[in-house]
Amino acid sequence: MINPLIYFLLFLKASLFSTGGFSNLPSLHQDLLANAWAKEADFGQSIAIGQISPGPNGLWVISLGYLTYGYLGAFLALIAITIPALLVLVISAGYTRIEHRVWVRGAMHGVSLAVVGLLLTVVWTILHQPGVDWKGLLIAAGAFGLALSRKVNILIILGLAGLVGYLLYR
Amino acid sequence: MELQDPRPSKWQLFRIWASVGLQSFGGGASTTFLIQRAFIEKHKWLSMEEFTQLWNLCILTPGINLIALTVLIGRKLGGAWGIAISLAGLLLPSAVITCLLAAGFKTVENLPAVQAILRGVVPATGGIMLLVGLNFALPLIRRGYKEGALYLLASSVLIIACALAVILLKLSVIVVVLGAAFLGALFFSSRSAPPLLGKEQGEQQ
Repeated sequence: MINPLIYFLLFLKASLFSTGGFSNLPSLHQDLLANAWAKEADFGQSIAIGQISPGPNGLWVISLGYLTYGYLGAFLALIAITIPALLVLVISAGYTRIEHRVWVRGAMHGVSLAVVGLLLTVVWTILHQPGVDWKGLLIAAGAFGLALSRKVNILIILGLAGLVGYLLYR
Repeated sequence: MELQDPRPSKWQLFRIWASVGLQSFGGGASTTFLIQRAFIEKHKWLSMEEFTQLWNLCILTPGINLIALTVLIGRKLGGAWGIAISLAGLLLPSAVITCLLAAGFKTVENLPAVQAILRGVVPATGGIMLLVGLNFALPLIRRGYKEGALYLLASSVLIIACALAVILLKLSVIVVVLGAAFLGALFFSSRSAPPLLGKEQGEQQ
């Protein structure tokens, strides 16, 4: 059984210690799987749903909330990603006082590097799911290349990937 | 700061944010673009300079930068009410659609055709995520080049160490982020780094 309070706090924690829409993924992945409140497949699917639905990238957690805990989960996820953003009010009041301390810049640089490393773990996790074989890795490489070119819309890339999946695995 | 347009009514503010949310596909870059077009070009409620200052504060805020930006623009245009209305406008319509898509997906997820499609889509999200990581890494690598080989090497080592700490040692993500902040303060502070403000502007995921 999912405990709604702890579920919410896990989403809030992931969001509070993240920067950008996807960097809360590793933390949620760790915690929800540890509690058996999510299946491995939920993560790849929520990212895909998040990509095809409108709004900022970070809304992928709303589909994660829905897939793991229904409408309540989606609602709790929405609240959890909104609260940290309000901290910008505190930061806009306090940042001008500490921005010139060297350690602040060093620490921010460290956090930015950690974010990159953590995103690599997400890629590793997605590509390590049971349904992904060598053909899946080729699809991933193709999607990466198309996205890198910046000429092809993400929706079209996902559509192509779905078509290839349908043809290969049906 | 002179505002060329009168401040928006609550309903107008809600509608503008809702249209920004509903039109942004493919993530941060398009949302930022739509916000700039609506609030700077069309209505002249903000100057580009102000926008940049607000954005820099958002980079330092945990969570989704764009939501923090929505909070700041909302406050500027309507105080506490402006914040609430802007957040509701950006998030609620998009969140409802995301929910409906997820619900629609739930009803068909066990069909073999859907399973086959997913086996194509899921690795593709992995590839796209790799690009997201690369976009995050580029400004850091560029800065590493400016600061010298040792700085670049230390940065790369920290990236890989963070990834391995989570994958192999199963360390908590929070511990890794706090550890990286601490190491960053120790090793990257002595350099005469350029000021953070103004550095990463325009970097979107």
